[in-house]
Amino acid sequence: MTPERERRRIMSCEAARARRRAESQVLIDMSQLLPLPSSLRPQLDKPSIIRLTISYLRIHTLLSGFADRQTWERRDEEGERETREEGERETRERREEGGRERWAEGNREAGDRELGERSEERKKEMGETDLYLRILGGFVVVVTTEGDMIYLSDNIREYMGLTQVELMGHSIYDFTHPSDHEEIRDNLDLTAGRSGCGGLRDFLMRMKCTVTHRGRTVNLRSAGWRVLQCRGCLKVCVSGPSLTCVLFTCQPLSLTHTLLHTHTFTSHHSMDMRFTYCDQRVTGLLSYRPEELLGVSMYDLCHTLDLHTLTKSHLNLCSKGQSVSGVYRVLVRGGGYMWAETHSAVISKPRPTQPHPSQPHQSRPSPPLFVACVTYILSGVEEPTQLLSLGQMN
Amino acid sequence: MTNTVVHLLFLGLFTQIFNPLLMDSVCVLVVGDVLVEENQSHSVSLPSLMTPTSAAGMTSGMELPRKRKGSMDMEIKSASNLVADMKDEEDRSEGEDSQAKIKCFREPHSQIEKRRRDKMNNLIDELSAMIPTCNPMSRKLDKLTVLRMAVQHLKSLKGSTCSFAEANYKPSFLPDDELKHLILKAADGFLFVVGCDRGKIVFVSESINKTLNYSQTELIGQSLFDYIHPKDMGKVKEQLSASELYPRERLIDAKTGLQVQADLPVGAARLCPGARRSFFCRMKYHKISVKQEDKEFQSSTSKKKESEKYCTVHCTGYIRSWPTSQLGEEGGEGETDKDSSHFSCLVAVGRVHLHAVSLVNGANEVLVKATEFVTRYAMDGKFTFVDQRATTVLGYLPQELLGTSCYEYFHQDDLPHLAERHRKVLRSKEKIETHCYKFKTKHGSFVTLQSRMFSFINPWTKEVEYIVSTNTVMSSDHSPTDRSGDKAEPSSNSKASEDDGNKSLPIIPGISSASSTMIYAGSIGTQIANELLDYNRMNSSPSSGNVSPFTVLKDKSPLQLTLSSSSVPNGEVADLEMPGKSSSEEGEQQELKRPQFPAGESLMVETSQLDMENMMDPGLGGLSNDEAAMAVIMSLLETDADLGEAVVMDEINWSL
Repeated sequence: MTPERERRRIMSCEAARARRRAESQVLIDMSQLLPLPSSLRPQLDKPSIIRLTISYLRIHTLLSGFADRQTWERRDEEGERETREEGERETRERREEGGRERWAEGNREAGDRELGERSEERKKEMGETDLYLRILGGFVVVVTTEGDMIYLSDNIREYMGLTQVELMGHSIYDFTHPSDHEEIRDNLDLTAGRSGCGGLRDFLMRMKCTVTHRGRTVNLRSAGWRVLQCRGCLKVCVSGPSLTCVLFTCQPLSLTHTLLHTHTFTSHHSMDMRFTYCDQRVTGLLSYRPEELLGVSMYDLCHTLDLHTLTKSHLNLCSKGQSVSGVYRVLVRGGGYMWAETHSAVISKPRPTQPHPSQPHQSRPSPPLFVACVTYILSGVEEPTQLLSLGQMN
Repeated sequence: MTNTVVHLLFLGLFTQIFNPLLMDSVCVLVVGDVLVEENQSHSVSLPSLMTPTSAAGMTSGMELPRKRKGSMDMEIKSASNLVADMKDEEDRSEGEDSQAKIKCFREPHSQIEKRRRDKMNNLIDELSAMIPTCNPMSRKLDKLTVLRMAVQHLKSLKGSTCSFAEANYKPSFLPDDELKHLILKAADGFLFVVGCDRGKIVFVSESINKTLNYSQTELIGQSLFDYIHPKDMGKVKEQLSASELYPRERLIDAKTGLQVQADLPVGAARLCPGARRSFFCRMKYHKISVKQEDKEFQSSTSKKKESEKYCTVHCTGYIRSWPTSQLGEEGGEGETDKDSSHFSCLVAVGRVHLHAVSLVNGANEVLVKATEFVTRYAMDGKFTFVDQRATTVLGYLPQELLGTSCYEYFHQDDLPHLAERHRKVLRSKEKIETHCYKFKTKHGSFVTLQSRMFSFINPWTKEVEYIVSTNTVMSSDHSPTDRSGDKAEPSSNSKASEDDGNKSLPIIPGISSASSTMIYAGSIGTQIANELLDYNRMNSSPSSGNVSPFTVLKDKSPLQLTLSSSSVPNGEVADLEMPGKSSSEEGEQQELKRPQFPAGESLMVETSQLDMENMMDPGLGGLSNDEAAMAVIMSLLETDADLGEAVVMDEINWSL
């Protein structure tokens, strides 16, 4: 009896072990099929392998959907234009051919041609895609409407410290600030009353960031938040398993490293957006003297129709600490307005001394003092004869 | 043992991360830092590479008796490949099962196991949904079959492309082409490369076709400046030209918000930090004309003025430069006679910034139709902003309206109603709609308007900044459906008749041209604004208690009283300028004000002006007054500890 039972136990153990072994083997096969660095592969546990596989299949579905849609769109758009083969290689060839033809046509300096070819070679050399990502100054995320991040470009590490493999397949809500979830949900929603936007998305969210400002990587648990500007569009994939995704680029907002050219000015504001400082260049652009702007509200300077844009940006500023205004009209002294966009950030008072520079989290930072803005002027003066506000007079 | 595992994982992560392209001294520093930290502190939690449940499983495994731990350790060390890992995991869990019967942590462990199984099952369900061969089958497939099918599917997807298992495989989750595609899709823009010296377009991605409607071949080799708005030429030139070794850019220090002069040494890095570019410019947008145009260059040169318009493009990218010597080597041609020792170009992504899009976004608040115009009033009803359409409707030039009180233009009969609305809008967050009312035009006639007003409340101070009014011209008479005027009841009858009269007799000359009434009317708004300020003040003072001062105020409002008596006692006071009030006097006034309030009408007007001045004082801006505001600040600081992070982060990017 006992030996019989023992025998059966052993048998079932054996069977279970064999089953597990088979399963493991399949999973190994699966992990080998995933486009992952071989060094990383052994470290993946089973759920991670499946998670990554699901993401891989989904992004594949999405991309194949693109190809279909694109050829279709193109035919639709271009009408009689020659239908092109999808496939990058061909386009690249075509581009080169086209370029050569153009150049061969003459009337271009030889230098330019050479330079062009050279830089193209260069570009290929360094990887065009890397170039794209680098230029973007951010990373790419593909999120399903349910919030699963099915793809993140691997340069996310540079910005957030978190890796592609860590995040892929997980829910975006696990890595973003709870108070931003509603906004994210809104933006992932297919139907949410934004028919006018044509599926375009532009919002700010805070995401976990494990890189401190000193470049140290910290544990995910002690991760801070980083404000990201997310811009992108909604894509519905019809072929295969239905999949609706939002594709967007995430760019960290920062006021540093902005090359301030002549069509920008910087200003400081109190938290209610009244000017406390403005640089001299505003005079050349908007004709106000910096000192006469002091105490003036940003809301007095804008066109009434853009009030909502600015309010939204201000609210972002209050809740998230940074914001991008989007395009609005700023009134020019003496009449007319200019299109502008303002990037702003809440600046906290510089800490008097930092006893332990290695531990920035130790001392609680002091409350914010002001808002720093960089305003880009996008256009010339429109309707310069039109006087609109009291502030434009005298 | 955990430390070993953690260490291994970290090592793995970082080796994976070491993309040769990204190799950089800063990165090395980072890694070094981390590793040092790992060595020092042993309280590192498991990296989230593992899914939470598995991590939990690991920790529970750690609590196992010494013997098991040792065996696990050995296994991991001996062969840290997947088989061993998984087998170990399985063995462990199995062993745990039997052991757990006698252990006290059986309960949590079984829960953990259940969670793990549930998660696995969910994942496998999800997976099966993604595999076409699984879908047609009605019955639920077992785990192993799903996994096998997934493997088959993956294989079929990959087709003939090389195996990812290759040791020297460069890790990229997506093929380059597809990723590029994805990026351009997401960015909804186009990549372009422009030579800095002459502005020649060296390369533009095909996606320009979608954004600006040019074909790629059309643009390559052209000058960028041919496609830039003439007024933005200087701007773009500036962006292209600032490529010398010591760039003249001004940076903003995120800590202080002040500009700092960049004296960044240009190191060996080809991409110096000052090379980042982010600017807006207007570019020509090529509309497809109706006739089927060949996309050859010839036709595009002859494009007409009306077939193109400009759209704002946000360009982000950087200046790259290559030493020409390097170029020369490669090209094998004599480039040494080039004017500069560097060939530099702007590599950027252009994203179209549609005004229309932003307008649609912003349209929720203020919608404007052709028969509408928008005005902005200060709290006291003075015009501070007038839409250009107001001129056509009202006949006044903006400078005639701006700074004057709207009450000067209202028909006398409408004053009670509008004053009531004015008062209401200052207290309400909702949009307030007025009845139809008559507004005196420049020619002395009256035009019938209806307005939707809301008070714009500053998001930070929560105080009323101004009143926004969307005014609709009601040219025809309207049905008095919404005329349930509670306060304006007595006058509403006469008003209705006035409306009719107005329609038949458009010009009613001189009905309220008496200058005294004009001045008086102007002060109505001031009084209303003052009421609100006073209400706010009393509300904020602790002595106010439970009394609702505003309702009392409203009922006994001097405005109401004086409206019934048509005398104009203090008209001239409203006109008084009082810029030279000393602060002591001001304090005196405020002290005097409260006791005298019910009677002192003239004083009301005076103090209101002072109050308005106070309102505009930036020092009063509100940091101190609001506890809630402080809470926001604190939460803000908690979340976004310091903006300084951005600085170094970006530098890391740049020095790649």
